[in-house]
Amino acid sequence: MDLIQQHTWGWFIAIYLYLGGLGGATLALGILGELRFNKSKWFGIGTSLLGLAILSFGLIWLVFDLLNPLRFLLSFWVKGIAHSWIARGMVIIMGAYIFGLLYAVAAFFKWTTFKKWIGYAAMFCGFGVTTYTGLLLNANVGIPFWHTPALPVLFTVSAFSTGCAIIMWTLAGKNDHDSEHLFHAVEGFDIFLISLELLILFAYFDFARLGNAAVMKSAHLLLNNPLFTIGFIILGLVTPLILEAYASVKENSKGMAAFASLLVLVGGFLLRYLIVWAGVFQYPHGLAG
Amino acid sequence: MARYGMVMNVKACLGCRACMAACSQWNQTPFWADEFEGKWRTRVTEVEDGKFPEVKRQFFPTICMQCVNPPCHSVCPTGATYINKDGIVLIDYDLCLGCGYCIEACPYDARYPYEREDLKKDAFYFGEDARHHQVHVDKCTFCVDRLEEGEEPSCVATCVGHARIFGDLDDPKSEAAQLVNSGQAKPLGEYMGAQPKVYYIK
Repeated sequence: MDLIQQHTWGWFIAIYLYLGGLGGATLALGILGELRFNKSKWFGIGTSLLGLAILSFGLIWLVFDLLNPLRFLLSFWVKGIAHSWIARGMVIIMGAYIFGLLYAVAAFFKWTTFKKWIGYAAMFCGFGVTTYTGLLLNANVGIPFWHTPALPVLFTVSAFSTGCAIIMWTLAGKNDHDSEHLFHAVEGFDIFLISLELLILFAYFDFARLGNAAVMKSAHLLLNNPLFTIGFIILGLVTPLILEAYASVKENSKGMAAFASLLVLVGGFLLRYLIVWAGVFQYPHGLAG
Repeated sequence: MARYGMVMNVKACLGCRACMAACSQWNQTPFWADEFEGKWRTRVTEVEDGKFPEVKRQFFPTICMQCVNPPCHSVCPTGATYINKDGIVLIDYDLCLGCGYCIEACPYDARYPYEREDLKKDAFYFGEDARHHQVHVDKCTFCVDRLEEGEEPSCVATCVGHARIFGDLDDPKSEAAQLVNSGQAKPLGEYMGAQPKVYYIK
């Protein structure tokens, strides 16, 4: 057998990819919500710090996946920045921390103009973190299921969908007009994102259907795994899409939307875990044809 | 400055695996690990070729392909993976973060982790001569230390069937360059764009 599932990266990396995307999206969406919807300063401070806390928790898993976790300090030596997505990611993450914390300080002291510009920089870095998690896997040329431009797009859309879920949870208990308005705006955005995610998945598997043997094997593994078909697609995408679409046209339905968000969060993790799990490569003797 | 490469003549490989033994002794690679983990700098895999009744058994030697455009080098965040003046892809163990990104990125499955348990075993088997003192990702170096002494890589020196032909691909007189230039020897997985410098005659 010359096709084999990769066994270097496992669920530690999957957790990191998930929390990295979730943290980055929470940071970006929280700041966007505060700047665009004029929410209270505590909303901006809370969501930006929450995003950074989620990102930090994710980084712990990444560090523990190293051969020697104490060597994580070497990751600041980003000599490979011209071509490595881990080095680039480190810079983007550092940017998210610096601009995210400065944004929280600016929001606290109400430095309006400074807050706005720093907020844009933090949003850019948050967006960058969500995208880089996909680009990280995408750079592996030997695993053709990962080495497709669709993967960073899928991870970015999924990360923003999970970010929406977190923002909806932070707003679910508030009944003031601004919070209700933002909640429903985020809910609508999430419906769009989940629909887009389904479309990307369709394109992804259609590509796999016509792909090489390793791509087909990856797709086959996923489509025959109930965690993917039932766990992710049915419970993590289709069900929350229906629930959120129903909640968006019904009064007093925040509970339903919040439950749908929970499913989105679980689905987001399953997607990362299963994509990492289904990375299939070909042994060199198989390449000889 | 040379451009070292290797030609693997699959037809000439006996499957004795003396190359694996020689490499693991010279480079102290984890021969003690389970076979599944595949912690070898060079491997000889037994493969079936053809369909019944025209089936033959072949031994397929693999090694780091010492690519011109190595994906492992491309993804390395700290610059631990570098290419020396002779085009050999090497690892600076002091800079290796141990993230495993290069293991994933290598399309030829040529890298593996040298873990803490391996360091202990290395010290146990080789004592004061142990060459690995920190965890790192490991791979074939074309025995760069032997090349500096004017010797061939250990796998080539030990090959009984002349299945491994090593040489400077820029030297038209070398057997390896002649096999490559004649078109007899071809690289694996060219479509991936890594431009390997290990060629195969099947």
